[in-house]
Amino acid sequence: MSQFWSVYIIAIVVLNLAGCAILLLVNLKMTPEEARNETTGHSFDGIQERNQPLPRWWLFLFVGTLIFSVIYLVLYPGLGRFGGLLNWSSVTQWQEEVALVEKRSEPLFQEFAKVPVEELHQYPEARDVGGRLFANNCAICHGSDARGAKGYPNLTDDDWLYGGSADAILASITQGRNGMMPPMAAAIGGTDAAVHDMALYVQSLSRPDMTGDPQVAKAVERARPKFAVCAACHGQDATGNQALGAPNLTDGIWLHGARLEDIETTIRQGRNSHMPKHEGVLSDERLHVLAAYVYGLSHGGEE
Amino acid sequence: MANYHSVIEKNVGLMIVLTLVAVSFGGLAEIVPLFWQKATTEPMSTLRPYSALEMAGRDVYIRESCHVCHTQMVRPLRAETERFGPYSVAGEDVWEHPFLWGSKRTGPDLDRVGLRPITEQWHREHLRDPRQVVPESNMPAYPWLAENTVDWSHMERTLKVFKNQFGVPYSDQDIDDQMNKVRGEWADATEEDAVVAYLLSLGQARREER
Repeated sequence: MSQFWSVYIIAIVVLNLAGCAILLLVNLKMTPEEARNETTGHSFDGIQERNQPLPRWWLFLFVGTLIFSVIYLVLYPGLGRFGGLLNWSSVTQWQEEVALVEKRSEPLFQEFAKVPVEELHQYPEARDVGGRLFANNCAICHGSDARGAKGYPNLTDDDWLYGGSADAILASITQGRNGMMPPMAAAIGGTDAAVHDMALYVQSLSRPDMTGDPQVAKAVERARPKFAVCAACHGQDATGNQALGAPNLTDGIWLHGARLEDIETTIRQGRNSHMPKHEGVLSDERLHVLAAYVYGLSHGGEE
Repeated sequence: MANYHSVIEKNVGLMIVLTLVAVSFGGLAEIVPLFWQKATTEPMSTLRPYSALEMAGRDVYIRESCHVCHTQMVRPLRAETERFGPYSVAGEDVWEHPFLWGSKRTGPDLDRVGLRPITEQWHREHLRDPRQVVPESNMPAYPWLAENTVDWSHMERTLKVFKNQFGVPYSDQDIDDQMNKVRGEWADATEEDAVVAYLLSLGQARREER
């Protein structure tokens, strides 16, 4: 702030305070004539305006605010470039707050960092901290209950695209994941019927009873040999491949929908899923606590 | 102080003038100096002007009144910087006309939403039906954004107004480049494309501080 604006602000502030004080002082006393008449001499539509001394409580409040403002301006910034005796600013207050919390929480995070992910989720404090981190960073996709949404995996079950070990979970959070299933319609014949058959086959993998319907049984038989192209990622037995993030198709857990239409869409258009990396967004110690929290979601039984 | 106040009380014009004088001091001390402070008039060095697509998204953001429920103002409080990212400073908003700080958070602050690890796909699903991805959300769905193509008819004029009236440093070449993209790759862009591009641009000036 330049000298000019500093002086300009100080002048306005001081003039205002002085003005208020003077206004109060000159109105404090009544002339003997006013006191005698008990009216201001104003008469509007026959109504007389009475004149009374300022009420004491109001007067003290007014003087109080004047004194308060002087004390305030001495302690806090308000007079141009003068920063106040307390040297307060919203930025330094923020820095102090951050430093204070860091000082209190860092030892805790250091302590957590020494405990392996597999055990850390049993520490109630770590679970609380992890839950907050999860709510702020993970819940918008995986849900506040961590049960996911269509296209966003449920983290509370024991079904893992990229593995449920502590290392795999930490890697998923830290580095992110890119899941890519190409459109497969052309590879399995290209016709709507072929896609329909394959969708029935895939659906029947987790619902063997479906083949009781002879129509479905026929479709499944037609699709079975073509599954070889799918098996490249999902495996011969269709139980998936965690190295690729290819889901298990036999467990009845459907990331992109369980309906026949959903499965057909997946086959026809493929799927692209992207889990963003959180390296650099959260500190390593926080990622460690978060991994432990996620690990704990499907490894319950500690309570 | 005899009866000066009776003079004021009986002259409405004089009373209006003196009232205006009395209430102007606050603004004179708190607002007027800001017009000449570098902190409020100089853009951050990392700030870049909006692309035409982001600008179109910003217009949709205003049309759909997103700023009524979402602020773009992270205050210097630890809880906010912890949740959203670096606190907002005036230098980020020098080219914002109008600014979209908002005043009430029914939804979360969006000033740093482009810095958060959220995928473009999530933004699209969330705009079409927020409850698809966040079951407890009370945000309205905006499915028509995916169906409407951007109305580009005013974009050239908009960019020129921002350049000439608001001093945003687009060069003539920049505007030509943007308009070529508008006629080319963005010709059929949907309003959803534009809004998502705008959302992902928010906070980019502060990427290094995240």
